[in-house]
This record gives sequence, C-alpha cells and structure tokens, in this order.
Amino acid sequence: MALKIGADDLVENPTPRVPVSLCIDTSGSMLGDKIRELIDGVNLFYDAVDEDDDAHDAAEVSIVEFNSEATLIQDYASIERLERIEAIDPSGLTFLGEGVNLALDTLEKRKSVYSGSGVLYYQPWLVLMTDGQPNGSPAELERAIQRVTELVAAKKLTVFPIGIGGDADMAVLARFSPNRPPLRLQGLKFKEFFEWLSKSVSRVSRSTPGDTVKLDLEGLAGWAEL
Amino acid sequence: MSTTDLDPTEFVQSGRRLFIDTNIFMDNRSRWSGGLKRLFERTAATIVEQKNPIVVPTKVVRELEKYAGKHSSRVAEEQVEAVRRSRVALTFLEDAEARGLVRTDLGDDSARYADDSFLKVVEWAGGRYEMCVITDDITLQLRIRLRSAQLARRLTAGTLTSDGLVAIDDDQVLYGRGARKLDAKQQKVDDGTATFADRQDVEELTALLPEFQATFSLKPWTKQAPRAASTSGGPPPRRASAPQPEHAFSANSPLREPDQLLPQTALPGEGDEVQVDSARNHSRVTLGKLLGEGGEGRVYEVLGQPNRVIKVLDAEHRTEHRQAKIKLLTSRPLIAKGIGFPVATISNTDGAFVGYSMPRASGKELQATVMRPARFRATYPDWTKGDLVDVCISFLEKVSYLHSLNILLGDINPKNLMVNANKDVWIIDADSWQLEGYPCPVGTPMFTAPTMNGEYADRLRTPEEELFAVAVMLFMILITGQHPYNRAGTDGDITRLIEEKIFPYQLGERKGADQPEGQWKYMWSHLHPRVKTMFWHTFHGDGDRYDKRPTADDWLRIFQEYKRYLTSPENFDPQSDDVYPTRLKAMAPDTPIYACAQCGASMIGRWQKDKGTYWTPKLCDDCRQNQSKCSECGKHKPAESLKDGRCWECNRKLNYAACSNCGKETPKKYLIDGRCSNCQLVACKDCGTLTAKTALTYGRCADCVKKAAELDPTRLCIDCRQPFITRDHVGWFQSKYLDVPRSHTAIKQSCPPRPATAQATARPPRAATPASTTPVAEKSLWTRLADWFKS
Repeated sequence: MALKIGADDLVENPTPRVPVSLCIDTSGSMLGDKIRELIDGVNLFYDAVDEDDDAHDAAEVSIVEFNSEATLIQDYASIERLERIEAIDPSGLTFLGEGVNLALDTLEKRKSVYSGSGVLYYQPWLVLMTDGQPNGSPAELERAIQRVTELVAAKKLTVFPIGIGGDADMAVLARFSPNRPPLRLQGLKFKEFFEWLSKSVSRVSRSTPGDTVKLDLEGLAGWAEL
Repeated sequence: MSTTDLDPTEFVQSGRRLFIDTNIFMDNRSRWSGGLKRLFERTAATIVEQKNPIVVPTKVVRELEKYAGKHSSRVAEEQVEAVRRSRVALTFLEDAEARGLVRTDLGDDSARYADDSFLKVVEWAGGRYEMCVITDDITLQLRIRLRSAQLARRLTAGTLTSDGLVAIDDDQVLYGRGARKLDAKQQKVDDGTATFADRQDVEELTALLPEFQATFSLKPWTKQAPRAASTSGGPPPRRASAPQPEHAFSANSPLREPDQLLPQTALPGEGDEVQVDSARNHSRVTLGKLLGEGGEGRVYEVLGQPNRVIKVLDAEHRTEHRQAKIKLLTSRPLIAKGIGFPVATISNTDGAFVGYSMPRASGKELQATVMRPARFRATYPDWTKGDLVDVCISFLEKVSYLHSLNILLGDINPKNLMVNANKDVWIIDADSWQLEGYPCPVGTPMFTAPTMNGEYADRLRTPEEELFAVAVMLFMILITGQHPYNRAGTDGDITRLIEEKIFPYQLGERKGADQPEGQWKYMWSHLHPRVKTMFWHTFHGDGDRYDKRPTADDWLRIFQEYKRYLTSPENFDPQSDDVYPTRLKAMAPDTPIYACAQCGASMIGRWQKDKGTYWTPKLCDDCRQNQSKCSECGKHKPAESLKDGRCWECNRKLNYAACSNCGKETPKKYLIDGRCSNCQLVACKDCGTLTAKTALTYGRCADCVKKAAELDPTRLCIDCRQPFITRDHVGWFQSKYLDVPRSHTAIKQSCPPRPATAQATARPPRAATPASTTPVAEKSLWTRLADWFKS
C-alpha cells in the first residue's frame, strides 16, 4: 500500500519542481560534430543535475527536437527517470516555430499535472537552440514568438535562446527574448553551456518558488559570445 | 483524610434523596467501571423497602437521549463511544425504573443543562430533604457544597468509586480541583481551542471559586510547577509575559537607517590568518577547510578548534548592519546549545571586519533531510512521529529562548536549521537575525506572512510575522516538507496561496478540499487533535488564531502534550506513531483495525451512522477494484457489474448495433440484414412491393392504402349514377363472396344532393338514415305520450 503510493514520485516528493524544456534543432545542418557535442552536453547536464542534491529532487526535463517536423523525444521526467540520449540523426529543415509550439504545449500539459496533484513549481525554463534560419510555417513561427513573449511578460517562463555557429539567425532568436539578448555559443562549447545550465538549475532549486533568482551572468562568459 | 467514601445507602433512607448526574453514565474511566452496578447492589434492598428510588432527573434522561442520537442525527467521529454508552445507560435506566430502583420523572427539562436542573432541585427541596448528588462535575460539586453551607443543611456531592461508594473531597481538595479545572479551561481559551462550554466554565468558576474560598476560609490555591512561563492566575497578557532573561535586547527599537556595504577589503580564504575579537579574547587563528558556501558567505573550519567555525561574509553581504549585529551579539555572553550565537568578530589582517566565529553546528540542513521524504527515509529510516515531535520541541525551545531575548530569527527556513540523529535542532545564520532595530534583510516566500510585502530589508518584522514562519515550519516538519497552503488546482504561486488563507485539510466538521495528492491527508489525519486544532485555527482565514498566532511557548505546551500522548495508552491507533501512515486514523478506540485479506494493508472499520455499526469489508479499496476488470476494456469494475467478463458499456458495444434504416440501437440478434424488426421489408398485400413494416397499414403500402380509399369509378349507384363505393369496400364484399351492393342506399348512404331536384333529395335521407333521426323521433314521441297522459 505504502509502496503503491511511493511509486509515484510526483506526489510523494513535495519539493517544488523546476521544469526545464530543451527545444533543439536537429536539422541537416547539425550533422557531425555539432550534434555529437550537443548530445554529450545534454548527458553531462543530466549527470550534473543527478549529483546535486537540490537539483536532483527539483529538476524535470523534457526535450523537443525540430527538423522538418517537431517531435517530443523526452516528456517531462525527474532525473531518475530520464533516459540518456545515445544518438540523433539530424536531417531535414528547421521547423523552429513548430518545435517551440510543441515544447510549450508539453509544458502546459505538465503544469496542469502539477496543478491537479498539488505540486508547487518554479518559473519554467525554455532553452531554444538552433544553428540556422527557421523555414517552417511563418504563421507557426509568429504564434510561437507571441506565446513565448506573452509568457515571459507574465513571468511564467524564462527563455534562453542560443545560436549555434555563424549561420544562426540571431534576429529571430532575439524576437523570442525581448528582455535579454540571445547568446551565441562560442565554437562548440556545449559542455560549458550545459555545466552552466545545471548550476543555474541548482541555484534555482535551492531558492524557494517566488524568489527572484539572479542568474550567474558572469558564468556566461565561459561559453557565450556576448 | 482528604477524601471520604460515603455509603450511598444512607441517602435512600426516607427523608433523603440520592441523585445521579449524566456524566456518571457517560464516564469511561476504567477505574470506575462497574461502579454503577455496585451502587445499585448496595442500595437496592433499602430502596425497595423505603420506596425511595434513586433520582435521575428528566433532564439527565434527555441528555442521554441526545447522546444516543434519538433527537439528533449528527454523530461525529468522537461521539461513537458516547452513543454506545448512552444507549447502554438508557436501557439500564428503563430496566431499573421498571423494578422501582430509579425514578426519572423529577425535574422538568426546561433547564439548559442538567447541572441547572440539579441546582433547582437543591434550591427547591434542599430545605426539606438531605441530598446527595453523584457527579463528576467539579463545578456542580462546588456549588452544592456552597449551598449546603449557606442553607446549613446536609447537601453533599461526590463522584462514584469503582466500589459503588460516593467519594467526597474535603473543602480544600475540592477547591484545589476547581482551581485546576479553571486553569485548564483558561489554557484552552488562551490557546484558542476552547468550546462554548469551556468559556462558560471559565466564567462560572472565576466567580464561584473566590466565594467558595471565602466561605470555607481556605488557603488560596497556588499553582505548582507551572508548565510554562506565561500562565499564572487569570488570563495573562500575551507574549513577553515571561520575565526577561539577563542579556535580553531592547524590545522596541525603531528601524535603523538603511544598510550600507562596508568598504571593499580582501576576504580571507583557506589557510589565511584572521583576527578573532571577543569581549575576553583577542587572538589570531588560521582558517581551515571550506565547509560550505551559502547565499551570504563561506563557512570555514578553524585550525586547532574543532568546535568552532568561522563564517566569512561575501562582498555583497559585508554590511554595516551585519557588523553592528555581530558586535551586539558578541558583547554579551550568550551561550545555548543548538543556537549558533556569534562568539567573536573576525577581521582580516588589515583589521577590517569580515565575519564571525560561532560554535560548530552538528547535523544536516532540514532541507536535505526531513523536508524530502525520499532522503528522509534514507537518512533516518527508524524515525517515528514521536521523533519528529522531538525535532519540533527542540526547534521551539530555541525559538522561545531567542524570542525571550527579543531576537527574531527573521528568515526562518529549512536551510537555516540543522538537525542531527539525536533530534537536536541547530539554528544558524545569526547575521540575518533581527535585533535592536536592525532588520532581517532576507526572507523566504514559503515562510513569509501575508502582511509582509516582500521588501524584507525596509521594515522590521512583527512578532506575529515571525510566528507565521514558526507555524509553517512546524507543519512542514510533521508533514515532512509539505507546505500548509499547498493544494491541488492552483498555479503553484505560493505567495498567492498564502494570501488566500485557504487551509485544505479537514478539522472535524470543517471539511477540507483539494488536499495535494499522496499520503499527506493520512499524515494530517493522525496528528494529535490539539495540534490539528491549533494548525487549523492558525492557518485558516476563519481560524481563531489567524490574527493572534500561537507563540513558541503556546506551541511547546501542545507539542509536549503530543509527545506524552504518543506513548500513552490513549494513543489507540498503532499507525499514529508512523511518519507515513497508510490510511486515515481510526475513529475511536473500539474501531476495528484489521488487515486486507488480499494485500495485507492496514484497514479501519467505517462507521455507518444509520446502522450504528462499523462496516468492515474484507478487501481494501484497491484490491476490490483490482479483483475484477472488464476483459474487453480492462477498466476496473465491481465483479457484480460484469457479465460474460465484460462491463456494461463493452457488452452494449459488442451486442448492439444501429438499424441501417431507422438508426435505433438494437440487439444484434434481432437485426435481419442490418435492419431491426420494425424496419424489415414485407410485400404489400395488394401490389406486392417490398415495403418497410412501419410503412404498412393493414399490410398495404402507402400507395395501396390511398388507392383503396378512393371510390371505384367503374361502379355507379343505380339511383344517382355516381360512383359510390370505395375499392376497399368492394374488396370486403368480394372476400366474403357476397354480391357487391349497387347503390348508395344499399350501403346505408344517401345519394349526393342534386341541386336541380331539391325535393327528391329531401326524401332519401329520411329513408336512408333512420338511425340518425331516431333520437329526435323518440323524444317527440315521448313528449307526445306525456301530453297524452296529461290530457
């Protein structure tokens, strides 16, 4: 009986959650080192969260990939239930708007699960990474930009738009984040980025919901071109 | 002897009266069980002989009936035992009255309580009879004793012993009992847990006791070993009533000027030498290993001093206020186990203030232990509820001491509290405390009272605001990390949840709603009733203590009672001492507690109000549900609702189909060629066209029906040469092998009028339709007959 209740860590763990959504570009141009470094970075992020007591209990990660379509490859799960990614074969176009919309839909669903079960949560995070120009439906892209900016304005989302390499369309990424300019990854410093991300998640999960958490902006210098 | 046992037989002699009060029947103290039986055994013979039955006033019977639920349909959990007892008592009284041992016809039931009814009897008949009232009620005993002295008559009152005797306290003892009762009730009033009756008792006893003391010239009662500092006779002023300990800080300092950062300086790290300055000691030590990094600074070991640590504030937290607070705290010899009082200020080698030294705390942050069920189970797998109560008590003792020094902790949160395996709590982060007008500049929303608006550094916290955090912390320790205001169906904004003042858990009749999913409601259910009451009143917007929150001392009393209760025989449910009970608490000591026959899970009987018994199903809800499921859709359904292993919905889906013609859901076995019986095709009996059954009228299709009703144009009336008979009609005669009639007249119709010969048409109707004219003819005939008689 007790075990049956215990099996569902969502209701057993009263720790407020930090939902982190990774929305990543897996179009053809990511082929090669970029995707390899990205996957290594994500797995490293998982390890770092796993090792940190606070982040371990609080973080919930989901991953949406976008190419010529958008796919949810990891629904929100606690670190113990996350499956390590082995490989992704990049191909196709860059349906960025569709990807972001799917990520937001997934987040809305998770939030309603939290609400239904009575689980507190912090402001959710959306990490958006792309190396090119969006070429999906323009209407979807506009809808995604509008949804993200509205959520950010209502303090219901923290967004990190990250450009990979010189071809990333920083102007479009900037539209997703009116307050903070998008960052361009230095070379292929995915590892440094995800280290920074895991530290930021720990920092948030050590605070309590409602706190204004200052991000480690100095730490950005390790991986971003400002 | 302070108490005398009196033989009740004395009071069933003539000229005397013996009374029994309600509480004697309802008493469940085992030491007196059987006392009533012995009482009647002792007195029966005399009663019969003297014809002087024991008096159980009508009001008492009414009260028993009320308990028994005869006049009330509402039975709360706690009352189950009372219901049982009162029913036993009523049956007994009926029996005893039939034998002439008891009379229940005395006293009216207009009095509000039976007590009043006794007093009336004493007033009214005290002059005529000697009386003895058996009651557990101290107030009633005091009143009767007082009245006896005033009337100079023998009026006594006492309790019943297990031997059936009446125990009479002497005046001093009775007075002491009364004073203790007043004290206990007053406590409840102060705690906010008092009922209406408690408040009445306080009022009554406050007036009665001095009179009683004066009448019998008694020693004034002094309370022995006060349980806490704040109660000594009469309602004490709330808070700060305890004598202020030595070294206390000022209670009413105004807010200081805003804080400023100290000028930048070099911050020492591992291996660096620092200057230590306290009132008595000035020395240099070397920083050891870095122990931890918090939001405000870094904590280091001190080389050669294992019991000390040094906190070096980081640049953004090295401020004038912090320096001043540390100086104030280190200027007084404050030492208490479990409180990280700063011992000395720490400066760098340039002489600039960088932090302070303090005793080394033991244990781990509450955040990483008690507040996280998975980690808590791993760290302290053997802990019980009692251990968590100890943690609360340890926390409260420290908070109480700091408050007595006029220090507020300010930012109470599970990262500033440590707990070790001995359940000792350590309070750390002295540099953020609020004292002498220096505010606590930080805060944690989960522990922030709704009256604060988030800008912690700009104002001083009030004690009420601090007590909000204390209450939240106690709840989160007992319920291991769950926040009192967290509930399902919200957007998780804790600040707003706190402002909404909705506490989702149930307290007696006050239903809760939207408790978070999981074991939390079971944990709540098993908490000690007084703890639950206090939490409810503190957290719920409608609670009595919402605006005057319980102090650390108020809570201490309640938690000490909780600790005592857990190990006492009163704690009847074995799961109440579990940190994670798996079900709700049993309602009463006699509630059956048993195991599910299948999975072994602990279960409790469910009280059925209408039947007055417990329902004890063999299987738990989960097992009953899992036991049977629909073989088609896999949903769990009660076994009795399944047919051929399938649920109703699936059977319906499987066995029914829509008729392809009318769409009606029809059992498949009644469908032929996809059509229901109503929609089957049948040949029209005239033309032979296949037609749906519903479209046939007497076996004919619509066309043929229409046709049959038309006049046959080939047959003409021999009188008027017009068509006169329908095809249907023709068919009828032919089917009977009869000649087909040949005129209107022959089928009892009249030929249609011919405009040219009006007279000719006037005649045939009379001949053709005699029936229609008959009533008129008959009537006129009758009239004529009557006229004939009259003439």
